[in-house]
Amino acid sequence: MSKFILKYGRDDRVKFISHLDFVRCFHRAVRRSKLRFEFSQGFNPHPVMTIAQPLPVAVTSEGDYMKVGLITGLSDEQVVDELNRAMPPGFTFYKARRLAAKEIDLTKINMAEYVAEIECTQRCDIDELMRNKELIVPKKTKSGVKDSDILPHIYEIEDLGYTDGIQTVRMVLSCGSGYNLRPETVVAAMERYCGGFKAEFTAVCRKRMLIDNNEIM
Amino acid sequence: MITLKDKILSRVMKPTRYTGGEMNAVTKDPSSVDIRFGFCFPDVYEVAMSHLGLKIIYHTLNTREDTYCERVFAPWEDMEQEMRNHGMRLFALESGDEVTRFDILGFTLQYELSYSNIVNMLDLAEIPVLAAERGEEYPIIYGGGPCAYNAEPIADIFDFFMLGEGEEQVHETMEILKAWKKDGKKSKKELLERLAENVEGIYVPSFYDVDYNEDGTVKSITRNNPHTPEKIRKRIMRDFDSTPAPDTIIVPFGEVIHDRVMLEVMRGCLRGCRFCQAGYIYRPLRERKPETLLGLADSLLSCSGYDEISLSSLSTSDFSGLPKLTEGLLKITEEKKIGLSLPSLRIDNFSLELMERVQKVRKTGITFACEAGTQRLRDVINKNVTEDDVLASTNLLFRGGWTNVKLYFMIGLPTETDEDLLGIPEIGKKILDVYFAIPKEERAKQINITMSASSFVPKPFTAFQWFGMNSREELRRKQRFIKENIPSKRLRFTYHDDSTSYLEGVFSRGDRRLCKAIITAVKRGCKFDAWGEFFDFDKWMGAIYDCGLDPDFYAARERSYDEILPWDHIDVGVTKKFLIAENERAKRGETTPNCRLKCSGCGAACFNAGVCVEKRDKEGAVE
Repeated sequence: MSKFILKYGRDDRVKFISHLDFVRCFHRAVRRSKLRFEFSQGFNPHPVMTIAQPLPVAVTSEGDYMKVGLITGLSDEQVVDELNRAMPPGFTFYKARRLAAKEIDLTKINMAEYVAEIECTQRCDIDELMRNKELIVPKKTKSGVKDSDILPHIYEIEDLGYTDGIQTVRMVLSCGSGYNLRPETVVAAMERYCGGFKAEFTAVCRKRMLIDNNEIM
Repeated sequence: MITLKDKILSRVMKPTRYTGGEMNAVTKDPSSVDIRFGFCFPDVYEVAMSHLGLKIIYHTLNTREDTYCERVFAPWEDMEQEMRNHGMRLFALESGDEVTRFDILGFTLQYELSYSNIVNMLDLAEIPVLAAERGEEYPIIYGGGPCAYNAEPIADIFDFFMLGEGEEQVHETMEILKAWKKDGKKSKKELLERLAENVEGIYVPSFYDVDYNEDGTVKSITRNNPHTPEKIRKRIMRDFDSTPAPDTIIVPFGEVIHDRVMLEVMRGCLRGCRFCQAGYIYRPLRERKPETLLGLADSLLSCSGYDEISLSSLSTSDFSGLPKLTEGLLKITEEKKIGLSLPSLRIDNFSLELMERVQKVRKTGITFACEAGTQRLRDVINKNVTEDDVLASTNLLFRGGWTNVKLYFMIGLPTETDEDLLGIPEIGKKILDVYFAIPKEERAKQINITMSASSFVPKPFTAFQWFGMNSREELRRKQRFIKENIPSKRLRFTYHDDSTSYLEGVFSRGDRRLCKAIITAVKRGCKFDAWGEFFDFDKWMGAIYDCGLDPDFYAARERSYDEILPWDHIDVGVTKKFLIAENERAKRGETTPNCRLKCSGCGAACFNAGVCVEKRDKEGAVE
C-alpha cells in the first residue's frame, strides 16, 4: 500500500456535484477500477483520503489535489488511466505520483488561481479597483457575516477582456484553512467599488492551487 | 460560456437532479435513432431513481439501436418555478432536450398520489393534457405499472396503457411505432389500432365507451373498435429466469432513497394476503435461479461500485433458492466489504444467523408486518403471521442484540372491531414482557418498540375490492382509541395521515369521471400529493365537489358483487369468481393456504408459469 497524490479537475458537465457527493463518487470509481483502497484501522474502517480544499458547487477545476491510500502495483501513469476510465465523464485525472511518507502537506495550500467569467452591466476597471487602500466587503465566516478587507488576500488580478457583456478576470487569491477568499467575494468588491458595475452571474474555474506560490506537482 | 441552465441550476436545491451524466447513464446521438423515448416518473429524482422498473425498461430499450430512452422526472418546486419563469420546458436528463417533440413518453404509475404530477409534467412540456386534444405532432403518451390496472381516473389523459410486465411489450410497441412513423404517421387512431390488435396487454381507453346508471355506478363498458379485444389480459414474463435483467445500473451523484444494487429474485407472491394488490396482480410467483442472480450481482456491483446490495421481492423467505443465493452472495460481500440487506424476511434461526454474518448490519430496525391486532382479524385478511411467530422472533432478536422493533398494522380492515384494535397495544405489551423475561445480561440494554398504523385503502383486484373504506372520522377515532390504550411509555405509537389515504381511496377504485377533478386540482395548484408539505386535502375536495362528484361514492361505498366495476374489462388472471370466494372466506374468518401448499384455483394458472407449474424434488426445492 502507498499514498498517492492525484491532480484532477472537472468540467461543466459535473460541476454541480457537491463535495460529499464527489467523495462518494470517487469511492465508487475506485471500487469499479483495478485499484483497491487502503482502509483506516479502527472500529469503522474507511478509505484513507484527504482532499486539499473542497470545490464549491458550480465551480469547475483544472487543478485540484487529493492524497489517497491505494493498494496497487500499477505505475503512476496506469493509476491515472484507471481513474479516468472509472470516473463519470466530465472528470479528468491529470497526474498521479506515489509519495514517500510525509511528502507534500496539502494543508499548507495557501493560494489558488481562478478565472471568473462575469456577466455584467459594464466593464470593471481592475487597475482602478486595485488602487483602493482597502476593499471592505461582507464575508461569511464561521461566526456569521462580517466585514473584511480582502485586499491583502488578492495576490494577482488581471483583466482578460470583455466581450458580449462578459468580463473575464484571472485572479490569485488566498486559499485554504487560514483565509479562504472566493472569487465571488472579489466580484462583490468590484460591485461595491466600481460605480455602475453590476454582476448578474459569475462562472468560476479553479485553475491551480499553490503552496507559497509554488506548484504542488 | 454561461448558459441559462447554468444560471438556473446555481439557484436551485440539489442541482444534480437535473444534470444527468451519471455513471452508466446512456448517451446516444439523437439523429442516429428512429425513436426518442421518454421514461417519465411523476415524482422527484430521488424517488424515481430508486425504482427498479425504471432501470429495467431503461436498459431494455437502450439495448435497441433504433431507440434512445431517456429519463424525465418531475422537477422539484424551486426548479419548476425557475423553468416557468424562463419559459424552459420539461426536458430529458440525458440530452437535456425538451420532450415536447419526442416520439413517445411512458409514465410509470406507481401510486395514485402521483397523478397530479403527471398533469403538471405534461403542462410543463406544453403538451395538451387530454389524449383527444393531442395530434400526431405530439408524443404518444402511455402508462404502465401497478396503477395501470385501474387507471380509469386518468384514462382520458393517456393514449394507451401497458398492462403487466413490460420487457417484451416495449419491444413489440417500438417495432409498431417505428413502422407507423415510416408510413408517415397517418393517424394516431391507426397506430393505436395496430397496437391494440398486435400487442397483448395493450389497453386503449378510447376504444371503450363507459356508460353510467342514474345512481352513478357503471352501466356498461362497451368496445367501440373491432381492433381491440373485449377484455385486455395483462402480460407476464413466463420464464422469469431467462427474462433479461439489466446488468448495468445508473449510479446517481446525490443520495437517493434506494441507493444500492437491487436484485430482483422473484416476481409475484404466493401468500395471498387478501388486502394486497401486489399479491394478486403479479401472480403467479416466478423465481430466478441463484446462479443467474449471482452472475447479475457480480456484474452490477462491478459496473456500479456500489457497496450495498439488496434482494428485491414481495416475500424473500419464500424464495426457494435463498440458502444457495445467500451463501454465494456472502462470499462476494465478505470479500469486497459490501453490505447485504435482506428485506421481507421472516425472522427465524436461519435468517438471524444470516443477518449476523452480513457485513455492516447495524443492529437496529427490524420490522414486522403484523397488519392486524388479533388472530381472528389476521385470519380474515389471510395474513399468515401468528402472535407466537412474532414473540418467538422478538425473543431471538433481543437476545441477539437487536434493539429496535417496528410493528406495522392497518386499521379500517373489514370486520374490524374495537377488540381487534386493542390487540395492537396488546402485542406491544407482550413483546415488552418477552424482553423483560430475558435475563439482563442476555438482552440488549435499551429497546424501542414502535407500532405504526396506516389506514386500509381497498384496491381493485383484491378480495376487498367491494369494501367501503372507513370514514376519516372513524379512522381518527380508531387512532385515538389505540393511543389511549397503549399501556407503557416504552411503546411508541404512530399513525399515518388519514386524509392522504382517503384521497388514495377515491382514486384507487375511481372511474373516468374523476379525470376532470384531477385536472381542476392541478390548475388550482395541487402537486406532489405524496409529500406532506404539498398535500392540500381541502383543495382536492373542492376540486372533486366542483366537478359534481362525491368522493365518498368512490372511497366509502360498499359495492355489491353484481355491480359492474370500472376495471371489469381488465383481466389479470385472477378471476372475479375467486376474489368473491376469498371475500366470503374472509367474512367467515377462514384462511387460504399459500400456492405451494395447495392450489386454490385463483385463475393465474392461465399463464402456465412459475409456481403454478413448478416441479419440486424430494426435499421440496424447486428444480
